[in-house]
Amino acid sequence: MTPILTVNDVKLTIDGRPILKGVNLIVNEGEIHAVLGPNGAGKSTLAGLIMGINDLKEPDSGEIIFQDKLVNGLDITERAKLGITLAWQEPARFEGITVEEYLKLSGRNNPELDVVECLELVGLDCSYLNRFVDDTLSGGERKRVELASVLAMRPKLAVLDEPDSGIDFASMEDIANMIKTMRERGTTVLMITHREEIAEIADKATLMCDGKVVQTGDPKEVGQKFKTMCVKCEVRNPELVGGE
Amino acid sequence: MATKNVLDTVAKKFIQIGLPKDLFERNKFNLLVDRNKIIVRYPAPGVRSEVVETPTGVKTKVYVEPGTKLEEPVTLCFGAAETTEVQTTEGEIVVGEGADVKFQVYGAMAEGIKLKHKNKLKVRVERNARFEFLDLHYNGEDTFVELDTETDAYIGENAYFRSVFKQTRGRAGKVRIVLKAQVDKKGVAVFETKMIGKKDDEIYVEDVIHLNGEESRGISKSRIIAVDETKATFVGETYGNAPRCRGHIDCSEVIRGKDVTVKAVPVVVVNDETAKVTHEAAIGSIDKKQLETLMARGLTEDEAVDVIVQGMLR
Repeated sequence: MTPILTVNDVKLTIDGRPILKGVNLIVNEGEIHAVLGPNGAGKSTLAGLIMGINDLKEPDSGEIIFQDKLVNGLDITERAKLGITLAWQEPARFEGITVEEYLKLSGRNNPELDVVECLELVGLDCSYLNRFVDDTLSGGERKRVELASVLAMRPKLAVLDEPDSGIDFASMEDIANMIKTMRERGTTVLMITHREEIAEIADKATLMCDGKVVQTGDPKEVGQKFKTMCVKCEVRNPELVGGE
Repeated sequence: MATKNVLDTVAKKFIQIGLPKDLFERNKFNLLVDRNKIIVRYPAPGVRSEVVETPTGVKTKVYVEPGTKLEEPVTLCFGAAETTEVQTTEGEIVVGEGADVKFQVYGAMAEGIKLKHKNKLKVRVERNARFEFLDLHYNGEDTFVELDTETDAYIGENAYFRSVFKQTRGRAGKVRIVLKAQVDKKGVAVFETKMIGKKDDEIYVEDVIHLNGEESRGISKSRIIAVDETKATFVGETYGNAPRCRGHIDCSEVIRGKDVTVKAVPVVVVNDETAKVTHEAAIGSIDKKQLETLMARGLTEDEAVDVIVQGMLR
């Protein structure tokens, strides 16, 4: 197993509040790795630090290493050029940019880019090519286009922040299949979620709570622990259930 | 009419500032004017026109026969290949009942020239007609134009008029655009302005829509990208004067630079209890999430800004 991403004792405080309290995480090349946890656990902050978004260019301490290269301090483009990308929980909408243009921009360094295939893999047909990536797409359609853009880019590591949020139960299987397709095409997937059902498609899962890693291992076991312990914990400790 | 040499010279200068080459290669112009000289004139089916050269420009009268439906746009160009003090264009367009046409009008001001361009246009879109007027401006990066243009439109019963003013390349210069519409029963007026201002450009856009007929509709939309020291003002006024009319003003302006000043002034007036006029205005820098999304796909910040801006101006 070759680690593609290593998060080493990462600590981060925002506005005086410790958000990450020494997070350690190893994601191996070719795996689907789920990060589970309740709201406020620090999952999305960790995703932001890996991509360098939201002014999260580097942690207060600790290292984020991608394929033996320290990415602390690199800007978003530099990380993307190394082969990292991120799909947002609520993807941005773009006025005047078509789905086809968006996919072509995303896949401009992918010599095997086939935009129609990317759309089909996320359950959309070629009639979407001329649609704008704006408010005329529903939340679910926009989410699918975002995953198609990750497929178009074909990165080495895709960080998917809550790919299942806003998706109806019937489409969950589709989302799971899209993530598996990404992996089949050579992309390692780090998936942030708080639904243990979607985490079960992963090869490995990590449970985070209150800015720390609680457990890493078999997704079913980790999912079970999340279900039995964290849900109760949220009820007992409502102060842990804050915005991320 | 000009010789081929004159046309070639004009074509070269206009293509240089971004006019599609195809327009010249495939002789697409129905009318091409350089300063006050008619270079090309070619009739479009169902469209009668009078064009007269004046000491400083041209006067045009266009009448689209009732019921005329054209698949290809009527293509016009009013430009200046050389510096001249002032260019004035005056026009009247009547779109007959039930007609459905699109005019694609190019304003081309060659690289490095300086001039004042004054334009007055009267538009009348008769009952059940549909008219799109795309006013596409191309200026050079070192061109400086003082543009003062006024359009007065009447939109008849169940008629549709869409006017798009677009200047997305080169410098805007000093620009004053005033668009006014009186909209009759079930008529629709759509005004869109998309511009980019650079250096010390000054942009003033005023859209005034009077919804006078029952169930008439009006949309006034502006997208102005203000860079460097640009000063831009958008005034959108919509008057809901009739039962069940609907109006909306939508301005979204982007600023890039410390010395930019942008002002948006939406004015909504309603004189009927069943009328409804709404507005939304946003002025700010480029949306951070849009920027970061494109950067996460490998675009540099400048490339991402360019993609976002060009999308907004589309």
